[in-house]
Amino acid sequence: MSALPTHRRRPTPEGVFVTHTSTRPRRLSPAEVRARLGEPEAMIEAKIIDHIDEHFRRFIAHSPFLALATADAAGRADCSPRGDYPGFVKVLDERTLAIPDRPGNKIADSFRNLAENDGIGLLFLIPGMRETLRVNGRAYPTDEPDVLARMRIETKQPELALVVDVAEAYFHCGRALVRSRLWDPASHALADELPSAGEMAAAQLGPGIDPAAMNRGLEDAYRKLY
Amino acid sequence: MQQTIVERIDRVAEDVVSLTLRGATGPLAPWEPGAHIDLALPNWLTRQYSLCGDPADRECYRIAARYEPLSRGGSEYLHRFLRRGRTLDVSLPRNHFPLAPAPRYLFLAGGIGITPILPMLRAAVAAEIPASLVYVGQTLATMPFADELRSSHGDRVRIVATRQQGRPDLADLASTLDPATVVYCCGPASMLAAAQAAFPAERLHTERFHPAVRSFAPDTPFEAVCARSAQTIQVPADESLLEALIHAGHPVASGCREGVCGSCELTVVAGEPEHRDDIGAPAGRMYACVSRALSPRLVLDL
Repeated sequence: MSALPTHRRRPTPEGVFVTHTSTRPRRLSPAEVRARLGEPEAMIEAKIIDHIDEHFRRFIAHSPFLALATADAAGRADCSPRGDYPGFVKVLDERTLAIPDRPGNKIADSFRNLAENDGIGLLFLIPGMRETLRVNGRAYPTDEPDVLARMRIETKQPELALVVDVAEAYFHCGRALVRSRLWDPASHALADELPSAGEMAAAQLGPGIDPAAMNRGLEDAYRKLY
Repeated sequence: MQQTIVERIDRVAEDVVSLTLRGATGPLAPWEPGAHIDLALPNWLTRQYSLCGDPADRECYRIAARYEPLSRGGSEYLHRFLRRGRTLDVSLPRNHFPLAPAPRYLFLAGGIGITPILPMLRAAVAAEIPASLVYVGQTLATMPFADELRSSHGDRVRIVATRQQGRPDLADLASTLDPATVVYCCGPASMLAAAQAAFPAERLHTERFHPAVRSFAPDTPFEAVCARSAQTIQVPADESLLEALIHAGHPVASGCREGVCGSCELTVVAGEPEHRDDIGAPAGRMYACVSRALSPRLVLDL
């Protein structure tokens, strides 16, 4: 797939590739954004609490998936998926969560970012549930045995976990999930319109990479989840 | 699998709940004292619990579970999140701790280890076989069914709260025992170890909740031959036999995946298994979740 002619790719001074359009969309000021959106209802702000109450605890106990957002000291941001059996995130107490670090790509973007900037944003999802749970706070890595012991699967225990000190927790209304038809089984057909992950990765890595071998490698990795 | 409905959730002691599970479609499978079931929880975890109700009641099973502070999600789910009316799948009962005929019994229970012992004591008393129970816990408040036991069985039951009374001296107990007595013990690892030191192995039956801590030779790859399907499966060092069989398309059942529950029992036709379970596999059987091979290949009846 070739880039659109209005786009150019250039490395930033840090060596990261960023795509810019030559005619940049207009940037709004915060005041202009507020003018267009209007003021939030008082009730919406009031529902933000500073701890994990019983409803949120039940939500987390049934959530098998979350998106985890961090940024480094320079503001370079990252969002990564975390998933496991429902309740894989442990509520240590009403202000503290622990997220297991299962084997992944070992890039450790989140840990690198947190070392510079411990702010973290989490979005928990439950299949079939339109509302999502947002938790923001500060996080650090741990290898505390009593925390890791609660995350053991069969004989495999994670090497690390992230401890999250909760600052804000709130339900996010389900309109995004309703619009996206995220839990509608008919939406699964969208995945059929993409090439396989191996084909896409092989195209990005350049010639000499066999897409079928990439796919087999991925399937093998998906067998060894812990 | 059998479908049940959570009919009752009762707090029966500090940090202990009892569940009454009613058969959703009629009578439940029969069971004998010492049996356990796998419970498939809504959070995808499967946990094993001893049946502690009345075997004559075919309508309901009863189990009890202690809240574990280091819960991985099983006991925490039962205590915090499970709701009455929820449908739960349970396995058919299995029994690795059956009550064998004996002229007299001594039952030893530690804490939640009382669950398999309850129906055993009831059965022994009903059969008019001399039986006594020593039930040990930290404090009376943490010991489920203590009142029920005292009111039904009176002097047969000795309740020991270790915070006040210390641990009972099992060696002392053993020295005064009629030599024909058979001992059944279920409790924490420390209690099982004390019982093993005090009573002769041929007259002691034990059940543990967690796998014993043991070490094994490093995992090595081996070959599993499925005799019936004429398929040869390579089991790599970092995969269990159970995982390798499932990946190769053999739907082997599994539960605890720690060598405790016995759901993944296989028949071995040839080859020498390296048993790593806590059940004590009968001859010609093995548990695929933890056990591996001493011979380069195992031939399985699959």
